[in-house]
Amino acid sequence: MQNDLNDVDRTVVSLKAFVDEVLDQSGLFKFEVCASEALTNLVKHAKTDDTTAPIKIELTETPAAVILRVFDPVGAARFDLRDHAQSLDDVDPLAESGRGLGLIMQCADHADYAPQGDRMCLSLKFSKLETDQ
Amino acid sequence: MIHTTTDDAGITVIRPGFERLTAANAKAFKDDVTAIIEGGEAQLVVDFKDVSFVDSSGLGALVGVLKKIGYRGDLAVSGLNADVAQMFKICRMDRVFKTHASVNDAVEKMAENL
Repeated sequence: MQNDLNDVDRTVVSLKAFVDEVLDQSGLFKFEVCASEALTNLVKHAKTDDTTAPIKIELTETPAAVILRVFDPVGAARFDLRDHAQSLDDVDPLAESGRGLGLIMQCADHADYAPQGDRMCLSLKFSKLETDQ
Repeated sequence: MIHTTTDDAGITVIRPGFERLTAANAKAFKDDVTAIIEGGEAQLVVDFKDVSFVDSSGLGALVGVLKKIGYRGDLAVSGLNADVAQMFKICRMDRVFKTHASVNDAVEKMAENL
């Protein structure tokens, strides 16, 4: 994906198409929310010397889950959303921002943030339908 | 690019004109609606009938519009699909905005309160 807000929606729609028959309706909604918020957050806040470098994304299916991995640009400052996410109950209802990270934490079944090679990676897990497990 | 219509009672219906209201277009949406408010319209219905997805930036823009109207008028939303309604709910926006199944319902209810 290009490091550009205008490329986020196209990418999210494309990713969602890959998991359309794997996740149920609720899972698809949560996946779309997380993908959109995670990629938007990365484009807006991950600073990198090379703004033209594409953002690396991996989508993996296991027998029990779908895992979305979003890689920070090389050299970007470490940002663990688990340390910064605010519960949606605690966000001022009239705030115009500050919900994205809380949405990710609420909608993903599991979130992890760890180094992979020379960069940090956000991993978001979405459980598949129980009948598929 | 938003689309607007204003009826004889002064109620303006706004259609965002995007299938997805997200960080890519939320500021443009807010700026366009703010211009309408500054032009004197203050009874607004935002119709989401043709919007399939709203992210936190889209919700933030809507909150910004609500604050811009303040006590001068009213803002309601209509036509939320299941996913958009769920987004409003988990972000507690269902407690902030008056929501209606259809734009006609929203306009009718707003007209009753004028």
